[in-house]
Amino acid sequence: MTVFHFFNCAVLTFGPHAVYYSATPLSEYDTLGTSVKAAVVYLGTALIKLVCLATFLKVPENDMFDPYQELLKALIGLVDFAGIYFALTQLTHRNISQHHKFQAVGLGWAFADSVLHRLAPLWVGARGLEFTWEYILQGLESNANLVLTVSLAAMGSLIWLRKNKPRTLIPIIYLCAFILATMPTTTSYLKRGLGWQLPNVVSFELFTSLVMAFISWQLFSACQRPSV
Amino acid sequence: MAGRKGRQEVLESVYSVIALVFILVACVELCDAATVVDVYRLIQYDISGVPYGSRLSNLNHHASSFPFSPGTDPSRTVFLINFRDLNLTSIQEYITEKRQLGGLLLLLPQKFSHSNKEAAEEGGQTHEQEQTRGLLIELEQLLIGANIPYPVYFAFEDDKIDAVLDDIKRNDALGQPATATTGGYKFVVSTPEPKKLASSTLTNIQGWLPGLKAAGDTNQLPTIAIVASYDTFGAAPALSVGSDSNGSGAVALLEIARLFSCLYSNPKTRGKYNLLFGLTSGGPYNYNGTQKWLRSLDQRLRESIDYAICLNSIGSLDSELWMHVSKPPENAFIKQLYEGFSDVAADLGVKVGVKHKKINISNSRVAWEHEQFSRVRITAATLSELSVAPGLLESFGGLHDQRPLVNPAAVVRSVKLVAESLARHIYGYQGKNIQIFKDGSSLAVNPSYVTSWLDLLSRTPRVAPFLPKNDPFILALKKELEDHTAEVNIQHELLDGIFTFYDSTKSQLNIYQVASVTFDLLLSLVLGSYLILLFCFLVITTRGLDDLIGLFRRPPSRKMKSG
Repeated sequence: MTVFHFFNCAVLTFGPHAVYYSATPLSEYDTLGTSVKAAVVYLGTALIKLVCLATFLKVPENDMFDPYQELLKALIGLVDFAGIYFALTQLTHRNISQHHKFQAVGLGWAFADSVLHRLAPLWVGARGLEFTWEYILQGLESNANLVLTVSLAAMGSLIWLRKNKPRTLIPIIYLCAFILATMPTTTSYLKRGLGWQLPNVVSFELFTSLVMAFISWQLFSACQRPSV
Repeated sequence: MAGRKGRQEVLESVYSVIALVFILVACVELCDAATVVDVYRLIQYDISGVPYGSRLSNLNHHASSFPFSPGTDPSRTVFLINFRDLNLTSIQEYITEKRQLGGLLLLLPQKFSHSNKEAAEEGGQTHEQEQTRGLLIELEQLLIGANIPYPVYFAFEDDKIDAVLDDIKRNDALGQPATATTGGYKFVVSTPEPKKLASSTLTNIQGWLPGLKAAGDTNQLPTIAIVASYDTFGAAPALSVGSDSNGSGAVALLEIARLFSCLYSNPKTRGKYNLLFGLTSGGPYNYNGTQKWLRSLDQRLRESIDYAICLNSIGSLDSELWMHVSKPPENAFIKQLYEGFSDVAADLGVKVGVKHKKINISNSRVAWEHEQFSRVRITAATLSELSVAPGLLESFGGLHDQRPLVNPAAVVRSVKLVAESLARHIYGYQGKNIQIFKDGSSLAVNPSYVTSWLDLLSRTPRVAPFLPKNDPFILALKKELEDHTAEVNIQHELLDGIFTFYDSTKSQLNIYQVASVTFDLLLSLVLGSYLILLFCFLVITTRGLDDLIGLFRRPPSRKMKSG
């Protein structure tokens, strides 16, 4: 029975990525190569992050929220941002529109993140006899993460790739990008600083991801308008 | 060509490595149970090939409380029963009708009874405790004497398992099938198949305290033997500590050895009797160890034994003591022995009665230890609080026989009784009112010594087949006897024939909270519809509704594309 549960959780964790790819025009323009490249960039970034974390962070003795350490962690988290920048600007993509480029990068990024962070715990944990809600929640978290990453990539593409943005929107774009980039720190604060339970944290993440996605979408289409 | 071939080989080796990794990952078994509980298996043994006890050890079933709901299949369910609300007759029915269950887990109270003193203050409670103890004895005999084709385990109550039991009961009362949200539990004990123990060693420990020979006396000195069997037998071998049967006897023997070692260390007070102390094993199996020990004794030594006193279950304060003999009480030796005891007993305010039970040589059953002595024509008596001879494998330290059952004061009293009457016999003060081991003197019985040894014995399960030759406990007994006697011998013997035992007496129970099949099905339905909705939503927002409809109208989209 437990394999069934594992299968369910895996579908919840990785299904949305596949659906996103096949349902949107990404599949029609065959942007898989871009996503794969983004995933590879993610791997590199993760490695750099690991090295940084290992160098600068102390091993936490307890599960408390230490502001200084968390700040450092957030700064190291900005390496992600650099990775996305690299993936968006430096990689030579085949001729795909900006519209699809950031989606492909975000998708590849989020998928690699899910595989790295969630596949192993899922394989080890969800096949156990003991039933917990944890893996289902983890799957939901992965969904929220997908939305957040795509939003972040959208912001990145607005910042770096689009030159003629409406002036008034620039601070909002930067603010959004900042919020998106600091999401991991925020959730970690909620979890450990405020002691929220996992279901609450996940619902918070889902909620913010939807809100941020909506805002990013509005921003993106607002920037698109003058050129169209 | 060669290059391509080489590349193929490399690829193949990579595939095999990947396959290996997958196999390794699949083999990872993690113990991530919600609760892990120590459980003790019901003993499994054969008597001349006839199987008894719990025949299996592996458990992997859903749990249910006992009067099970009609929906459950008893052969695939573990029944979790608290001893407090056990209905013995229904269990009896199950066992005698040999109905198949998935397994049985009996929860024993943490402390069987708080303490005798406390209980004595509250009369009602004592009665209740007596009742539970009786029930436990009955249950134990039932389980030991039956052939049970499923695993039976004992565990102790604690908060965790009580919570599990409450949960299970609640679900059973509602008649709900086990689901993730309402708490279905799976009990898993994974142990290797129980194996026959190759041989069971009985270890007898013998201590020798020589008496003082008068100068020029060539005759051998007479010997007095004091014997107690120290091993136990009970429903759960890992729990049979046998504080009273026969921990109390063994402790009394050690204390008597200590007292006489004080006397014998000084030549002025060394008596004209040798003292032989024997801690024998194999008590539950017709005193097999005693029999072997006697056989191996030197012929001359054996003939020099004047009489032997066996100590058995002397730890309870409120019952009178009985001297069990196999010769008629009118026999001169027996009479002398009995008078020696009753004289001292009168001084101590104890009643000692005498019980005579003839030996049937053709019957292999030996109910009392002294009967082994009587069979080799040595005068012997057993001092015990039991008035009736116990049956085979009965009264040898079952689950109920724990430390609270024994009162150290009773053991001290028995020690005084035996030591005093021995001393009067040795020094020839029969019938005189002299207290040699007077309280407060340097020769007084030491209650803290008795208590500490009782505590140790009450912590050590001592079922002989599961007690290895060089068990620390046996070494401790030997060391203790070495301190008090001049010469100590250890004798290892094999347990005779008809008994075969199986291992795996103790293991760990993993309790998992599991989801039901229905829940998993439901979950996958929900997930499927979620993904479909997501798909539709994404198609509509990015390509428009027409595209979505188009997708369903013209499924061979590739054809369209090429067209």
